[in-house]
Amino acid sequence: MTSAGGSRRLPVALAAAAILVAVALVGVLAARLGDDAVRVQPAGDASQAREAALPEPVTPAFVPPAPRPLAGQENVARWSPVRRTAAIRSGPGGGEPVIGRLETRTPEGTRNLVLVLARRRDERGTLWVRARLPILENGAVGWVPRAALGGYGAVRTHLVVDRARFRATLFRDGSPVFRAVVGVGRLESPTPAGEFYVRNKLRRYANAFYGPVAFGTSARSATLTDWPAGGFVGIHGTNRPDLLPGRVSHGCIRLRNDDVLALERLMPVGTPLTIL
Amino acid sequence: MPDPHRDPTLEHIDADGAIGEALDGIGPTRAGFLRTTALGSAALLAGLADVAPAARGPKQDTAILNYALVFEHLQAGFYTEAESLGTIKSMDAERELWARTLGAHERAHVKILKEVLGRRAVARPFFDYRGVTEDPDGFTRTAVAMEDLTVALLAGQAPRVSKPELRSAFFSLLTVEARHAAWARRIVGAEPVAEAFDEPKTLAEVDRVVRSTRFLVSRPRRESRRSPRFTG
Repeated sequence: MTSAGGSRRLPVALAAAAILVAVALVGVLAARLGDDAVRVQPAGDASQAREAALPEPVTPAFVPPAPRPLAGQENVARWSPVRRTAAIRSGPGGGEPVIGRLETRTPEGTRNLVLVLARRRDERGTLWVRARLPILENGAVGWVPRAALGGYGAVRTHLVVDRARFRATLFRDGSPVFRAVVGVGRLESPTPAGEFYVRNKLRRYANAFYGPVAFGTSARSATLTDWPAGGFVGIHGTNRPDLLPGRVSHGCIRLRNDDVLALERLMPVGTPLTIL
Repeated sequence: MPDPHRDPTLEHIDADGAIGEALDGIGPTRAGFLRTTALGSAALLAGLADVAPAARGPKQDTAILNYALVFEHLQAGFYTEAESLGTIKSMDAERELWARTLGAHERAHVKILKEVLGRRAVARPFFDYRGVTEDPDGFTRTAVAMEDLTVALLAGQAPRVSKPELRSAFFSLLTVEARHAAWARRIVGAEPVAEAFDEPKTLAEVDRVVRSTRFLVSRPRRESRRSPRFTG
C-alpha cells in the first residue's frame, strides 16, 4: 500500500513542482515587466508634470513693428515758446549789443513764439538760439539765451503768399497741399515781404470782419506802426469775399471763409511764412 | 551715497545742473505738478495711483498702457530731437549707432502703443528737454537714467496688467528696455548690470523722478478766443 501510494504521489509532486516553476517564471517575468514599467512610468510623469507646470508662452497682445529710422528733416521747422522775457542780442553772448526785447505774450494773450534757426554756445558754455523774431525790422533775427525759451515744437508745413499773383500755397514736406486766392495790402499799407512765421490761432471771436478763423504772424506793417498792438499782420477770413482777390487790406492777408477754414485744418501754429 | 558714474540717475543729472535750472509753471507740490503738467499724463498718473492693486481690469490696463505710452513719447521725443538737431551726428560712431538705434526702437514702441490704445490713447505731451538734447554728454548721461527709469517703471506696472496677452506684450517691452539700459550704461562706461536684482519703482517714485527732470511741461497756449488785433 505504501509503495503503491508512493508511486502515485510522484506525478503529483512533479506536477506541483512544474506549477511552482511556472509560477516562479511568471513572477520573474512580471517582476521584469514591472521593473520596466517602473523605469518608464516616472519619465511619463515628469513629462506630464512639465506640461502642467510650464505651459506654452502666452501670445503677446501686440508686437512692436520694425524700428523706425528718423524721417528726413529737410522740411522740418522748429518753433519755441518764450518762457521768460529776454534781451535780444545781435550775437551769441551776453556782451553782444541788444537789438530788442522778447516778450512772453502776444497781443491776443497767447504764448509768444520764435522760429528757431540755429544754436551755438558762447565761450562760457551758455547755449544761445538764433531765432526769427516778431519785431521790426521785418524778418529780424537775433540771439536769445536758450534758457529763455521752452521746448521745441516741430512743423513740416510752409505757407507761401505771392502778392503779385494774389495766391497762397501751403506746402507739407515740400509738396503743395492747399491753394487759395487772397487779398493783400493796399499800396499805401502794403503787406510786407520777407520771411515770417505763424505764431497763434484765433477762433470764436465776435468780429465778422476777420471771418471765422484768424492766424497771427510775426510780420508787421511798415506803415501802420502806430496801430494798436504795433500793427501786426494776420491771415484771416472776411465778410467781403467779393473783394478777393486784390489789394484790399491794411496789410493783412485775407482769404475766403471756406478757404481759411480749410487752412485751419492743415496749418499748425509755428508754420514758417514766406511773403513774396 | 550712490556713485553717479556707476549708477547715474536723472536726479544726479539734474544736480549737475544740466537740466536743473529753475522753471516757471511747475509748482513744488505734487498737486501743483499735476495741475501744470501735460493734462493727459498727469491725469493718468493720478488715475493709476488711485486704483487699488486688487482692482484689476480693462480700465487699469488702459491706464497702465497709456502711462507707458507717455514714457515712450518722452523717450522717443528725446532721441528724435537729439537726432534732428544734429547732436547724435556729432558723437563718435559707436554712440551714434547706439542713439539712432534706440530712437528707432522708441518710435516703434510709440507707434504700437498708439495702435493698441486707438481712440483711448492720450495725446502726445509737450516736452522741454532744457538743452539736454543739444549737448552730447548731457544727452548720453540722461539717456542712461531714462532707460533705467523706464525699466523700473515697467517692472513695477507689468504685474498689474490683468489681461495675460497684454501682460506678455508688456514684458516684451520691458526686456527690450532693459537691454537698452545695459547698452546705454556700457556706452558711458558704467556697469551694464549694476545689481543682481532690478527693483521696481512705485508710481510715487516715478512721479518724483519725472518731476525732478521738468521735461514734461504744459503745452504752450497758442490759441485764443480774443478778437484779433491785426491791421486787418
